[in-house]
Amino acid sequence: MTPDAALTAEPIPACAGIGLRGQHYEDVLTLRPAVGFFEVHSENYFGLGGTPHRYLERIRADYSLSFHGVGLSLGSTDPLSRPHLARLRELIEHYQPSLVSEHLSWSSVGGRYLNDLLPLPYTEEAATHIAEHVSQLQDSLGRRILVENVSCYLEFEHSGLTEWEFVNAVAETADCGILLDINNVYVNACNHGFDAKEFLRGISRQRVAEMHLAGHTENKFDGGSILIDTHNRRVCDAVWDLYRDAVEQLGPLPTLVEWDSDLPELPVLVDEAGIAASILEQSRARVA
Amino acid sequence: MPGLRELQQQFAAGVLDPDHQAMEPSIRANGLTREQRLQIYRNNIFTSLTEALKATHPVVDKLVGDGFFRYAAHEFILRHPSASGDLEDFGAQFSTFLAEFPPAVELPYLPDVARLEWLYHEAYHAAEAAPLDIDRLSAIATADHERLCFSLHPAARLMRSRFPVLRIWQANQDDCTSDDSISLDDGGARLLIRRHEDVEFVCLGATEYEFLRHLDNAAPLGAAAEAAISLQADFDLTSVLARFVGDGTLTDFRLSR
Repeated sequence: MTPDAALTAEPIPACAGIGLRGQHYEDVLTLRPAVGFFEVHSENYFGLGGTPHRYLERIRADYSLSFHGVGLSLGSTDPLSRPHLARLRELIEHYQPSLVSEHLSWSSVGGRYLNDLLPLPYTEEAATHIAEHVSQLQDSLGRRILVENVSCYLEFEHSGLTEWEFVNAVAETADCGILLDINNVYVNACNHGFDAKEFLRGISRQRVAEMHLAGHTENKFDGGSILIDTHNRRVCDAVWDLYRDAVEQLGPLPTLVEWDSDLPELPVLVDEAGIAASILEQSRARVA
Repeated sequence: MPGLRELQQQFAAGVLDPDHQAMEPSIRANGLTREQRLQIYRNNIFTSLTEALKATHPVVDKLVGDGFFRYAAHEFILRHPSASGDLEDFGAQFSTFLAEFPPAVELPYLPDVARLEWLYHEAYHAAEAAPLDIDRLSAIATADHERLCFSLHPAARLMRSRFPVLRIWQANQDDCTSDDSISLDDGGARLLIRRHEDVEFVCLGATEYEFLRHLDNAAPLGAAAEAAISLQADFDLTSVLARFVGDGTLTDFRLSR
């Protein structure tokens, strides 16, 4: 796969995009939805050829892309996977995405992958460690990346920092951007009992370059309940409210609506992105 | 408190084995119990790996049913850990695992169905290739022909089974309307290849299979032809070669020393 000379990565304005999934390829080409950009999971294009690339190349011709990694395991104490880095670099050179992001989590240890976004303790040690991996990733790609706050279902006793202090520390040390997932802030605030607005006030405002929105699910347990970041439904009202607050505080930013399982028809996703777009529009109107 | 490395090792151990409780003291209980919190991750991890395995092995899933598949997947995940951050890489050993999985012993064709599905998955995602450059091939002197080492299309996979796995596979596709019963005595050799959009299946005779298998293992043309002739005295090298170059099965060559 060679760099596509016809493409250059243009910055994405403050608009709303949607996740691109295989089930929607045909509909995207036929309906040409008016969304600001498409975000793909980078690993879905790690294959060297075939259908996924055939569609992505056609879609890239008309839309900006964001490459969102789920498998690099930045927070792992294992070294970063060289083949994974090399393939990511190749894809980015080829498709010239406007945004590239990964998660503030880990998914492997001792060469064994659990393929999930696992939580880190909010400590100086963990922040320094993952920041070093973010720096390696940025050096390898020759560009700035964004790191995303993840949903957590447990906290560690020895976490001395708040989550936002941890995210800020990583971004500061590695000099990277932040992908602020509003749903994850909401889920963690509910699950761990902090004020989501305090997170928004605490996050390093000038580093946030993209926002994510998604639906979550409440799981009941004996003795309590917990919110799970399932990406399988519409964004709930409380998360839309938090998003309005975030846009007000951080300014309008490229925003993605994620939907990864129990996928609806494409127009439902476009409709969700439309809600985000109108919130961004209102914010611009207020500023103007 | 454990360092980050130790914490990750304890976490992985605790997720994979509920009896392993070394990391529990590091977890804040806060409403739910520590075990309930770990269980959420355990559930997410096993579910996503199982779904990935189902996505690459839909026919195995259909043949054994959801309950059996989840049970087999759970055992597979424990014995053959995922080794990549790309979930598409997970499941290469599912076929050999099933062959040695006692509960599946009554379905002797199941491992070969799994193998077919994995080869299909590989062919589906493999690289594109331009057709072989005939002019370049014509320029090779006749005396050097036996030293030619051909490459199969990157999206070509060879498979042989004593069971009719292709018919089983086809009968279990969503768009299949045939309800013919399948005789299990009816095996054969197949080439799976994605030359354009879709993965196609090409029936191969035993000799053609051996010939292509040799080329796929980097044997030079002379050795591959010899193997074919030992199976079939009237093996027509020129026409077989012309066919596999012409239909895009062979896409490149080099000269061995």
